[in-house]
Amino acid sequence: MRREDFLREPVVPMKLQPGMTVNQLVQEFGNSGCFGAGRLSSACDIFERMARDEECTVFLAVAGAVVPAGLRRVIADLIRKKLVNVLVSTGANMVHDLVEALGGHHYKGHWFVDDFQLYKYHIFRIYDAFVPEEDFVKCDKTVVEMFDEIAKENEGYAFSPHELMWEIGSRLSDSESILRAAYEAKVPVFLPAIRDSEFAYIYRVHTKRHSTGSILKVDAFKEVNEIVDIAIRSPRLGMIVIGGGVPRNTVQHAALMAGKGLDYAVVITMDRPETGGLSGSTLEETVSWGKLKRKAEKVVVIGDALIVFPTMVAAVLERLGDKFERKRIPKL
Amino acid sequence: MEEQSEWSKPKEKFCGNCRHHNVYQYPDFIFCFVRYQDHKDHVFPTLGCCEEWELKPQECFCVEEALKKKHV
Repeated sequence: MRREDFLREPVVPMKLQPGMTVNQLVQEFGNSGCFGAGRLSSACDIFERMARDEECTVFLAVAGAVVPAGLRRVIADLIRKKLVNVLVSTGANMVHDLVEALGGHHYKGHWFVDDFQLYKYHIFRIYDAFVPEEDFVKCDKTVVEMFDEIAKENEGYAFSPHELMWEIGSRLSDSESILRAAYEAKVPVFLPAIRDSEFAYIYRVHTKRHSTGSILKVDAFKEVNEIVDIAIRSPRLGMIVIGGGVPRNTVQHAALMAGKGLDYAVVITMDRPETGGLSGSTLEETVSWGKLKRKAEKVVVIGDALIVFPTMVAAVLERLGDKFERKRIPKL
Repeated sequence: MEEQSEWSKPKEKFCGNCRHHNVYQYPDFIFCFVRYQDHKDHVFPTLGCCEEWELKPQECFCVEEALKKKHV
C-alpha cells in the first residue's frame, strides 16, 4: 500500500440535530467511521445488504439473557418480516419467551441488591432484571403439560429441538412470542444446548410424571442435518450474533459443513479474543476455520447488545421502509 | 453442649418450610412439584402441611409472611 492509500477518507465530524431519526444518527456514526460508532454503522450496512439479498438466508444466533431484558418483541418482529430466516438460541432465552407468553413478567430491578434477600423472597436476578419464582413455576407446569400432550400425540416419534419448538409455538396464543412467530412464519428455532436450560427441569418433571407412559423423545443430533441442509440449499449465508457461545458456533459450523462458509457476519459482543473463547473470537479467526469466507462482509461490534441490536434493527428497518417485503423462506 | 444442626431443630410443619415447596402465589400458596409429579393436588396454602413434609431449611420468608398476613 502507498501512503495515500492510508489517508483516503477523512473523518467527518458528527452533526446532531433535534428530531433526528435513528438511521440519521447511524449515518453520522458512519461519517465518523471510528471506534464503536464506525463499527455499528458498518453493522447496519451489512445487515441491510443481507436483508436486500433475497438469496441470503439470515441466521440469528442469540446467547445471553436478551429476552428477559426486553428484546423478545424485536426478535419476533424480525422473524415475521423474514429478516431472520433461522433462529439459533440458548434454551434459556426461549424459556424466558415462554414465561412471558404464559402470563409471567420480568421486572426492572437493580444489580446492587441483597441477593440473599431476593432468595428469601423467591426472586431470581439476571443482572438488573428480576423474575419471580411463581412465573417460572407456572411456565414449567404449562410446558410440562405441553410435553405430556406432544408425547401422547406422537408416540415414539423423536423430535429435533426445532420441531419441538414449533410444537410448543403452535400451542401459544401470544402474538409477541418468538416461538409463536417462528411457528407461524415457519422459521426454524434451533436449540443446540436445549438441555442446558429450564427445559431440562421441565423434561425431568415430565418423565417423573410418566414413568410408565408416553415420554417425549428429543434427538439433539437430528437438527445437525436440518441446519446443515438449510445452509447447503442457501445460495448465500448471513449471520448476526448476539453474544456468541454455542449458538454462534452452531451457525458457523453449519456453514463449514455445508462446504461454503458465511458471506456476511455481524457479531455483537463484549467478550475479548485473548482467552480463546468463541464469544470473543475475531471474525478473522473464523476465516481460518473456513467458516467465514475470506471476502465476507464482516464486523464485530463491541458493545451491549441491548443497545447495539435495537439501534441496528431500527436503522435498517428505516432504510428498508414500510413497503419492503422479504420473501425468503429457507427449505427444511 | 453440641450445637443443633438445622435438620434437627424443631420446626413447625408448614408447606412453606418443606424442602419441596416453590412459590405459587406469594406468600399465601405454594406449588409442590413432588405432588405434581405424583399426579396429586399440588397447590397448597403455605401454612398447610401434608404427609410428605420434609424439612430442609429454605430460609425463605414464606411462612413468616403468611403468618403475618394471617394475624393481621
